[in-house]
Formats: sequence, structure tokens, C-alpha cells
Amino acid sequence: MLRKILTALLILYVALILPASALAQSSYSFGVPLESVDVSWNSDGSEALQYAITFVNQSGAAPIDFVDVGMPNSNFDMSTVTADVNGHNVSVSQSGYQGSGSGFSVVMGAQTIQPGVSGVVHVDVGAITGVLYPDSNDSTYASADFAPTYFDSQYVVGNTDLKVTFHLPPGVQPTEPKWHSSPSGFPSQPQAGIDSQSRITYMWESTSANAYTEYTFGASFPKHYVPDTAIIQPPSILDVIGGLISGLFNSSWALYFCCFILFFVGIPIFSAIQGQRRKLQYIPPRIGIEGHGIKRGLTAVEAGILLEEPLDKVMTMILFGVIKKSAAEVVTRDPLELSLAQTQPANLNQYEIDFLKAFGQKDLSLRRRALQDMMVALVKSVSEKMKGFSRKETQDYYKNIMEQAWAQVEAAQTPEVKSQAIDQNLEWTMLDHNYDQRSQRVFTGPIFLPIWWGGYDPMYRSAPMVTGSAPTSLPTGGGRSSSLPGATFAASVVGGVQTFSNKVIGNMSSFTSGVANVTNPPPPPSTTSYRGGGGGHGGCACACACAGCACACAGGGR
Amino acid sequence: MKKFFTKVQPVQSGLYHKQSAPEEPLPYRIHLRLQPDGSGVLVVNAATVLHLNPTAAEYAYHFIKGTAPEAAAKEIASRYRIDRNTALQDYNDFSARIQRLVTTTDLDPESYLDFDRLLPHSVDLSAPLRLDCALTYRLPADTQAGYAPVKRVDRELTTDEWFGILDKAWQFGIPHVTFTGGEATLRDDLVDLIARAEKNGQVCGLLTDGLKLADQAYLELLLKTGLDHLLFMLQLDNETSWKALETIVPEDIFVTVHLTVTKDNFSSTAPALERLASLGVKSLSLTFADPQLPHSDLQDKAAALGLALKHDLPVPYSANHPVALETAEDNVRGGAGKAWLYVEPDGDVLPAQGLADQILGNALRDPFNRIYKNDLLQKSNDEKRSS
Repeated sequence: MLRKILTALLILYVALILPASALAQSSYSFGVPLESVDVSWNSDGSEALQYAITFVNQSGAAPIDFVDVGMPNSNFDMSTVTADVNGHNVSVSQSGYQGSGSGFSVVMGAQTIQPGVSGVVHVDVGAITGVLYPDSNDSTYASADFAPTYFDSQYVVGNTDLKVTFHLPPGVQPTEPKWHSSPSGFPSQPQAGIDSQSRITYMWESTSANAYTEYTFGASFPKHYVPDTAIIQPPSILDVIGGLISGLFNSSWALYFCCFILFFVGIPIFSAIQGQRRKLQYIPPRIGIEGHGIKRGLTAVEAGILLEEPLDKVMTMILFGVIKKSAAEVVTRDPLELSLAQTQPANLNQYEIDFLKAFGQKDLSLRRRALQDMMVALVKSVSEKMKGFSRKETQDYYKNIMEQAWAQVEAAQTPEVKSQAIDQNLEWTMLDHNYDQRSQRVFTGPIFLPIWWGGYDPMYRSAPMVTGSAPTSLPTGGGRSSSLPGATFAASVVGGVQTFSNKVIGNMSSFTSGVANVTNPPPPPSTTSYRGGGGGHGGCACACACAGCACACAGGGR
Repeated sequence: MKKFFTKVQPVQSGLYHKQSAPEEPLPYRIHLRLQPDGSGVLVVNAATVLHLNPTAAEYAYHFIKGTAPEAAAKEIASRYRIDRNTALQDYNDFSARIQRLVTTTDLDPESYLDFDRLLPHSVDLSAPLRLDCALTYRLPADTQAGYAPVKRVDRELTTDEWFGILDKAWQFGIPHVTFTGGEATLRDDLVDLIARAEKNGQVCGLLTDGLKLADQAYLELLLKTGLDHLLFMLQLDNETSWKALETIVPEDIFVTVHLTVTKDNFSSTAPALERLASLGVKSLSLTFADPQLPHSDLQDKAAALGLALKHDLPVPYSANHPVALETAEDNVRGGAGKAWLYVEPDGDVLPAQGLADQILGNALRDPFNRIYKNDLLQKSNDEKRSS
């Protein structure tokens, strides 16, 4: 078993910031049931890390709002550091690091792990240099040691299934590497293997480890697999002896010199150090605001506003909605004219009522103005509904609904089932930013037209057999539905959006800015701008003229 | 020399207050409660509650004091292990975000101001944020039975006794009081009590049936005294109530109209919302006598009419507001006994109105820290936390 000459200081110290924040008035208390780290020793002599740490925060404990990740040295590139919590990206901050030595802080932000809740923190560090040393027993070998993250024992409860995997440099042959002695509680030798990149791996695992003990793992491999310059050389014995002799030879002068240094340099340094020690630790200012999570119950149209879909698409969705509810049907598509039902259904949403009123205007400029007012009211209404709820979480929720809608369509095995899925999910699938391309890809084969399609397509209503190419006959009895090739159906939906853009709205940019100027007026001038993570810094992008900005303030939080 | 070896301490805990200057276009009031551990609670316009870590709390302290940015940065750098430039940048960043929050409504603070979202009432507080003071349980002679208080009290506190409670509340760090009842306007000393709260620096609200406020002179008096907001208990089928509301809405005061939705008035609520919107009402409180009553249509209606829904107010069936009903499955903790306390006309303190079986102490006799740390309350909070 090889031993190293110098133990590389590869201790990754991960600790929760204490006292981390005002948000944490009670003490930290958490379990770490799972922790795995992949340590890749690269051909350039650097080291890359991939952490996955499962935290289970105890009920009544402080929220886990920061995680400090210590580094073996300061030779790591922050631009290569990423982190996420349960798949949601979070920021990292070098200045916010509160642990000893070098490192960075994972700023949990909205992904803060609340009491009684668990979460998986992933941390990737792309490159750390200066981490290899000569092997003590074989000068042709390089020694690589690593100690994974551990926490203050007073905050940790329970055992940890700890798994550490070394990925040795590319090219190292199975017979070449050697492992160092295993830490207490782990099998005496690691499990060897080969990873997907054909690199030799050593894996140590113990299900009865804990998250507060420092475990050091090590291996050695022929040093020619990494550059010589990547291996840290200790000072030679001669260098050390030479330094001592020189010091003794000049001892009397050294005494005077030391006194001088002590008085003029040492005391100021001591003062500075003491001054720093008495100061409080600086944790970047964090502001928390109370709010609920997901706002459920929005319609697809309202979700479209929240997801910042273009306004012409949103209006096309409204058009489909009123046609489906038999409140109107398209008389001509160019120019777009609607025939309104004599008796309006009772289940219309306010924006649908406003939409129909707008189409009651014969004058195109007045109609455009009425549609603009309708959009303003819709955005404001969504904004009101979102108050007190998380915009981010709600957006994710509706994106997920959209994906589920697509999944239903894609999973359909027969044209009949697929057509039914398309009919049921049309507005939700339209929330996709890439609806055009995706619908062309997914809408394959014949699509049996929904019963309301005639209200949308006057040509189909008057002469169904001339719409698109070769409609087939009905698969079921009753009604007068027919089918279109999927691509033609998708093109018809997209064409509806384009009709709105070109024939109804006119100048899309002007229309949108007319809405945005009301729903999202430019912010008051400020002499400062704020920094940090998260979208919208330095302003809510309110003044720009895209549909997203029309609703960029639609929501949430308070 | 002693100072040289003594660790820097957090800024003195206490309640700090800032009110916008008259020339500022958008009036605001900000209260900062610095807690003993250095953290802070910043309350903007008695409505938006922000939780600050110690660094942010110290920046907020300088923000409220009006410290010049450079001076604030110098002070921070002398107390924390941070260089002055970073401190200056962080202070400017903090100030800009707070000003943005104050001046830009409808901005999502999580997305656009980089605030962290916390579960409602999940953060421990050193004191409640609001004290609801039931000045009397008396009601006007012709008031509906539904508005009658549940508990009768032996006596009403005197003006001086209420003064003492308001002062104690301020010293304890409670930045916001509402006067309620019964009908609070039946107390002749209401104006004096508002003035006392105003003098302390507390945000002051009034929950009333509003009928007496139809008297323009009385309304003017309340406004001049310093009343900050009004919670108007609208009686749907009472035209006098509507008339009083018409008088109040144009005045320069924030008005929230409350409606208790019952099976009897459910069908007339939606038209009432339209009428409220036409009167220029912007803020609405809805509670449901029966949680089974459908609430989402009324929520949608309110949103479409631009009526902002407010909740957690000292109103009948306060727990059955639309957001609580909508998020029932999320098991969100309530704020009764934590974010607010309720004082009965005789000084008894309850977690909230209607919880007469949970007397936490008496505001006249007991210090607030003992009331707030009452075992009954702590047990209740622990149960909510564990659930």
C-alpha cells in the first residue's frame, strides 16, 4: 500500500453558514442520508468534482439557505462552478463564502430547504489545479488524495450513505494505479471499475458513514499521465538546510531586524488582524418575502400571459375558446370577421366577453384599440390573481401542464385518439414557444377535425372537401367532422396566429408596446442599479416592446 | 483598549420608523424591527413584510436613518469583514431594491428584485406585526345579529389604559395597530387613540361599519389625526352603508372593503363587486361563512374588476379567505397569535378574534413578552410547525 509524502490538502469543507441569516433564528439540524462525489483527475493535472448531497432538514430547524463549499486551495475557476437544488439552478458566490480557507457559497435562494423538507444539492466544480503531489514510495508516481465534504457535528443527525468515486486520468491502465489505505469504516480496498469514458475508477462506499467526519481517500498513478508542472514539488532538504545556516550566520543582525519588523510591521499587522477578528462575518444581504407557491386554476390563456407568449398567439387562443363555446364563428379569415351568437353562453371569461365586444367594432382602428384594452385588462387580471403567489413556480407548473398535454398527444396510438387529445389540449399545447415546429413534428397522419372546426374555418364549413388536401371520411357517426393531414392542421392553427398579426393587429410591435406601456410602465429613474442573480436586474425590462414585457410584471409575491 | 478586544455587536435592537417626505410622489411608511440576533423585519406600508439577514438589517437601519451611502459603507466596513467598495455597492443595491418595491406595484419581488420566497408565517418573530384592538363590543342599535361579538366583557378599558397598551405595544416592537369592535366609532376617544398611535409612530387602521364616517366632519377629523387605512365592513343590503362608502372612497385614505359571503348573500355578491369597482374601490376583503361556498368565481371576478384581494384581517370568518381556501392542501401556517394578536375591550389578549377560549394574558397587566411567550401560544405554534 502506497503512502504519500505530503498529504495534499484536499479537504473539501462544506458547512452551513452560521449564523447564516435572520431567516434562521433557530438552530440548524439536518440529516444527510446520501452523499456522493465523483472526483475526476484530469490529464492536465487538474481535478473536477461532482457532488450530490441529499439534505433532510429537521422539523423546527432553521431553513438551509446557504451551503458553503470549501476548496482544497484557491486555484479553482469560479466560472466552472455550477449548482442546483432539485434540478433548479441556484447561484454560487465566492464573496459569500464563510468557511475556512478557500471556497464558495451555494446561495439557495428560492430553493432554500425549509424545515421538514428534503432537497438534493448538486455542485459541479470544473477545474481545480495544484492538487497532485509526488508519491512517497515511488518517484515515478503521482499521489492524489481527497477528503469529501463534512459538516459541523452539532448540526448533523443520522448516518450517511457516502460514496466517493475516483476517475483516474485518461490512459491509465488497469494494472498501474494503486489505492491508499481506506479511512475507518470503509472497506479496506475500493471497488475498481471502468467508467463510460474508459477511465479507471476506484469507488469507496459505506452506508454507515456520517456527514461530520473527515474521511480521506487516495490513489497513485504513473505521473507521466499528467504534466510534470501539475505536480507540486516540496522544497528540497538542501534548500531547507541552506536557509537555516544563512539565518544563524546573520543572527545578531537578525535580532535587530526582528525587533524592527516587530515594532513597525508586526504591531500594525497584529492590529489589523485583531481588528478583523473582532468584526462580524459578512454575509451578503438577503431579503426574504413571504408568499405562496403555485397559483393553480389559471386558464390556458391566462397561463399564456404568465408565460409571456406573444399577444397574437394569446388572441388566437381566445378565438379558439369563443368558437369552442359557440359564442362566435369566423365568417371570413381575410379580413378576419366574426359572427357573434345571438345568445352568449354563460361561461365566458371576462376577456372573452371583451374580445367579442372588440369584434363588434366594424372600424378596424377602433377594433384594434378595443383589443388592446382587452389585453391590458387581461394582463392586469392575471397580475391580480398572481399577487401573493410565486411567478417562477407558477410558470414552471404551467410549463409542466403544457408538456403533459404534448405527452398525451404524442402517446396517442390511433388517429382517433390523437385527434381527441389534440382537441382537448389545443390551447395548452399552443403555450409552447416552439409550437410551430413541434406541431409539425407531432401532428402526423390524419387529424380528425373537432366538431367546432367549422366555426374556425369557413371554407371547411361551406365545402369541407376542399380544405387542405384529401380529407378522409368520418371515423365516427354523427356530426360532420372530417380530417386533414397533420401538417395541414398545424399550419392552419399557425395561420390563425399570423392572421391576427397581419390582418387584425397590424403592427405587432406597436400593438404590444401599447399594452406594455399601460401594464408595465417604465420604472422611475434611479441613480443606482442593483447587482446579483436572478432575472430582471436593473429593471423589469418593462419598457421594451415584446409581448413578454407586456406581462413581465404580471405577478406574484406580494 | 477594551474595545480593541471586544467583538463587534449587532446594532441595538428596537423599532425604527421612516415616513416619506411630503414632497415625495408616492407616500410610504417603513418600519424596521431589529431583533436581538441582528436580523430584521422590514414592514413596508404595513402590508409587505420582508425578512432580513443581519447584513441586510444593518443596511435597512442606515436606509431608514437616511445615512449617506458612503458613510453607511464606511460604517459597515468598520463592523464587518468586508471592504468599503463592496459595502457601498451592496448598500446601493439594497436601497434600490427597497425603493423599487415601494414605488413599483405589481412587481414580482422574487423574479425582479431577487428576494427569496419564504412560506407564509414560517419565520419566527420576536413580536407580532399587528395588534388588533377591540375597543368595545357595543354595536349600533340596528346592527344585524351576524355582526354581534361572540364574547361579552365585564368592562371597557379607559382611554389612559389604552394609551398604556399602545405604548407598551410600540416598545415591544409592534408597528401596526387596528382599532376594531364591536363598532369602534362608538368610542368617543377613538380620535385620541389614533393620535396616540400616530405619535408613537405606529401605522393605524380602523375597522368599522363606516356609518359614522358618512359624517364628513368626523371623517375629516379622523384623517387629520393620522388614520392610515380603513377596513370598511360593507352591509350589502343596506343602502346607508353604500352611501357611507361613496363618501369615503374619494378621500385620501387607503380603503379596503370587506364582505362576508354567506349562503344568503352569495348570489348578490358578484353584482356588488361590480358596484364596488364602479365606485372606485381598489381593495377587497372576502371571507366565506361556509368554506364550501364556491370562491374561485368571485376571485376571478375581483381580479377582472381590478379589485386587489386582501386577507389576514380582523374580520368575521377571517380564516376562510379565498387564498386560504385555495391553498388549503398546502397546509400553510396561519398568522394568528404569531403575526398578530387581538386585544378584547377588557384587555384580554387572544391569538385572534373569535378565539375567546385562548386567553394569553391581559395587555393591561402583563408585559407583552410574557403574553407572546405564553405556553398556550408556543404549543399551538409548535403544533402548526410540526404539522
